[in-house]
Amino acid sequence: MGHLTATAAPPSPPRVTSPPRVDGELPMAGQPSVPFVEIEALRVREFIPAAKEALTALIAEQGQAKLIRPVFNWAGRNSLFPLHWGLACCAIEFAAGFGARWDAERFGVVPRSSPRQCDLMIVNGTVTWKVAHKLITLYEQMPEPKWVIAMGNCATGGGPFRTAYSVVPGVDKLVPVDVYIAGCPPRPEAMLDGILRLEQLIRERKE
Amino acid sequence: MLPADLEQALAPKLGARLVGVEPFEGMAGRVRFRREAALDLFRTVREDLGFTHLSMVGGIDWVDHREVFYVVWSDEANQYLVLSTDLPADDAHVESASGVWPSANWHERETWEMVDVTFDHHPDLRHLLVPDGYVFHPLLRSFKLHEPEELEVKSRHV
Repeated sequence: MGHLTATAAPPSPPRVTSPPRVDGELPMAGQPSVPFVEIEALRVREFIPAAKEALTALIAEQGQAKLIRPVFNWAGRNSLFPLHWGLACCAIEFAAGFGARWDAERFGVVPRSSPRQCDLMIVNGTVTWKVAHKLITLYEQMPEPKWVIAMGNCATGGGPFRTAYSVVPGVDKLVPVDVYIAGCPPRPEAMLDGILRLEQLIRERKE
Repeated sequence: MLPADLEQALAPKLGARLVGVEPFEGMAGRVRFRREAALDLFRTVREDLGFTHLSMVGGIDWVDHREVFYVVWSDEANQYLVLSTDLPADDAHVESASGVWPSANWHERETWEMVDVTFDHHPDLRHLLVPDGYVFHPLLRSFKLHEPEELEVKSRHV
């Protein structure tokens, strides 16, 4: 949130500006206004009190929650842990997405085997009524905040099995879905695109 | 093993309860029996004729009646054999084979929920593929494809 500028100029009072920017990221449309503090200091021993003063002023001006939220969202969207489970053929594409060729881990997406370590559930396949309550149990075990991606046509709306006797016509009848990925099955690129769109949703998240 | 051999072995034990033995493509034959003979037939086929492995159990809805069939395998004869019985549609029940071939357990559960044939003295007759409380028997001819919402409301399974 700050940087050191090695200049010979005497330390000036901290200036608080607010361009829409988070460290290391390009400004994007629809992004909430994130305060940016610019501090000019010569040495570390000057920087620390100046930074403390600037942050105190910023918190007094804007409120703590508003400042913490972007940091929280930034941390959350860069370490999405999906639940590692497979329902049907989309799970093959899901698995391929974490292989060497597409390598979803470069986005911080690491599948975990326990729902208690996850904040993302990728429903990758046909959900039957028989497995529906197990899906709900897994979803309820995930800690808040949590998101759901419906991957493929079956999870989105039942797919070709929509009128079948045993298939849930869309997983949004069971859990709230944030991102739908079309395809039968979608390629790993589509899954990665869905995850990046979810990251965009989290970036814009206010509460 | 030929149909004539099967009939020779089975007829003295079952008598009139044996409807007949027909040839069946690629198998030792097809034994048609009345459902009163079920347990006797299963024991004879397994212990005397050596068909020790039950490969599958299935059911067919012929609208006016229902049929249950058992496909058994003999390592000695290197052959399959089909046992089948016809049941009235309004009173479809037959003795369970799971006392003779334990592998019949899940196959009979599936047959029960799909074509609504009850297996008497089954150790654990409950739903296998569809959830508990499901009111339909999807492989019956009378079952129509439902709109999902209708199915959901009628079954109340979740």
